[in-house]
Amino acid sequence: MMEKMVFGRYIPGDSFVHRLDPRSKLIFVFIFIAAVFLANSTVSYALLLAFTLMSIFASKVRIGFLIGGLKPVMFLIAFTFLLHIFFTKEGDLLFELGFLKIYEEGLRQGIYISVRFLVLVLMTSLLTLTTSPISITDGLEVLLNPLKKVKFPVHELALMMSISLRFIPTLMDETDKILKAQLARGSDISSGTMKERIQAVVPLLVPLFVSAFKRAEDLAVAMEVRGYRGGEGRTRYRQLKWDWRDTTALLILLAVIVALWFLRG
Amino acid sequence: MQATATTRAQTRWHPLDLIHCALFATLMMIGANITSFVPFLVVGGVPITLQTFFAILAGLILGSRKGAIACTVYMLIGLAGAPVFARFGGGASSLVSPTFGFIVSFILIAYVAGRIVERRGTLKSFVIAALAATVINYLFGTNWMYAAYSLWFSAPEGFSYWMAWAWMMPPLPKDILLAVLAGIFAFRLQKVLKIIPIKTDEGEMR
Repeated sequence: MMEKMVFGRYIPGDSFVHRLDPRSKLIFVFIFIAAVFLANSTVSYALLLAFTLMSIFASKVRIGFLIGGLKPVMFLIAFTFLLHIFFTKEGDLLFELGFLKIYEEGLRQGIYISVRFLVLVLMTSLLTLTTSPISITDGLEVLLNPLKKVKFPVHELALMMSISLRFIPTLMDETDKILKAQLARGSDISSGTMKERIQAVVPLLVPLFVSAFKRAEDLAVAMEVRGYRGGEGRTRYRQLKWDWRDTTALLILLAVIVALWFLRG
Repeated sequence: MQATATTRAQTRWHPLDLIHCALFATLMMIGANITSFVPFLVVGGVPITLQTFFAILAGLILGSRKGAIACTVYMLIGLAGAPVFARFGGGASSLVSPTFGFIVSFILIAYVAGRIVERRGTLKSFVIAALAATVINYLFGTNWMYAAYSLWFSAPEGFSYWMAWAWMMPPLPKDILLAVLAGIFAFRLQKVLKIIPIKTDEGEMR
C-alpha cells in the first residue's frame, strides 16, 4: 500500500512533456478539455485521437500505466457505448437479432462518444502522470495569482496543499499504528451488525484526531517561531521557468484547434 | 494554543488555521480509504468510504469557512495527482468522472454544516447539521452526475434523470447512520478542541 502512496500518480521521467512548465501543462489541459467538444465528424475525432497518442508518445510514459488509470472508467465507457447502440434508432439497420436492432447512427454515436471520453481521460491522466503534485501546486499558485485581487487566499491555499501532501504518509503510518494498537487490545472491528461496525470507527478516529491536532499545534508553533507571516515577500526554493518548449506546446495545441475547426462536419 | 495579539493582527491567516485545514484534508484522505487499512466496514462486498463523514466533520469542527477550505484543499490535491480519493484514486482525470460532483459537494456541505452549528451548538443542531449536509451531498452529487454524464457522453436516450437517482440511492441508509454518528462525534470533539466558539443553551462555551 505504501509504495502506491509515495508518488501517487506521478512517474518521474525526462521527456519533452515532463520538462514542460506545470503552468503550460495546466493551461494546455484546460483548453484541451474545452476543445474536445469541437470534434463532431470522423476526421476530427481521428485527429483528436492521433494527437492524444502523439502526446503519450512524446511523454514516454509506459502504456501500462495509462491502461491502469483507465480501468475505473472502462465500465462507464462500455455502458455508454451500449446505451448509444441500443437506443439510437437512426440511419440504416446494420444488424438484427430478435428484438436487438443496431442502427448505423447508434454505432457511430457510440464510437464518437467513447473516443471523446477516452481522449479526455488519457490527456488528463497524462498531466498527473508527468507532473508531480507539488509542481502542480506551484503552477496553480502562479496561475491563480490574479485572484488575489478579489481577496482569494491563493498563497494560503497553495501552502495548505503542500502541507497536506507532506502529511499524507505521516498520517497513514499513524492510522496503521492506531489500528494495530486497537487490534492488539482485542478490539473487534470486522464483525457485528452495520451499526456496530460503524460505531467501531470511533475508537480509531479519536486517537487519530488527537494526534493530528497535536501535530498541527507543533507545526504552527514551528512556523510562528520562524516568523511565518503570509506570502508577502516570500522567496521560493522551486523556481518555475517558462521556455521555448512551453510556447511550442501551446502553439501545437492552437494548430490542432484550428484544424479541428476546419474539419468539423 | 493561543496566538499572540500581534501575529493575529499581522496575518489574516494564523498558521494554526492553515494547518488545521491542511491536516483535515489529509484526514479526509484517510477516511476515504480507511477500508484499505483493514478490511472492515465492508457491507455487501462494497467497501464503505468515510469521505462524506469527514467532510461533515470538517464543517462541524473547523467551522464553515475553514471547513469549506479544507474540502477545497482535499479536492485540489486529488486533482493534482495525490491518491486521496476513494480507492486511492486521484489525478486530473477525476475531473471528467461523473461522480466528481460528490467531491465538489463536500465544499458546500462543510460550509452549510459549519454555518448551522455556528448559530447554535447543541447536540441536536450538530445532528441536524450533519443530516442536512447528507441531503445536500446527495442532491448536488446526483444532479452533477446527471449533468456531467449528459455533457461528456451526450446523454444517450436510454439514460434518464431517474436512472441517475436509482444508481445513487443504495448507500443512503448507511450515510444517514454515519451522519448521525458524525453529529454526535463532532459535538464531543468540539467540546474538547474548542476550535469554533459554540453557543449552547447554557451560554457560550468559550
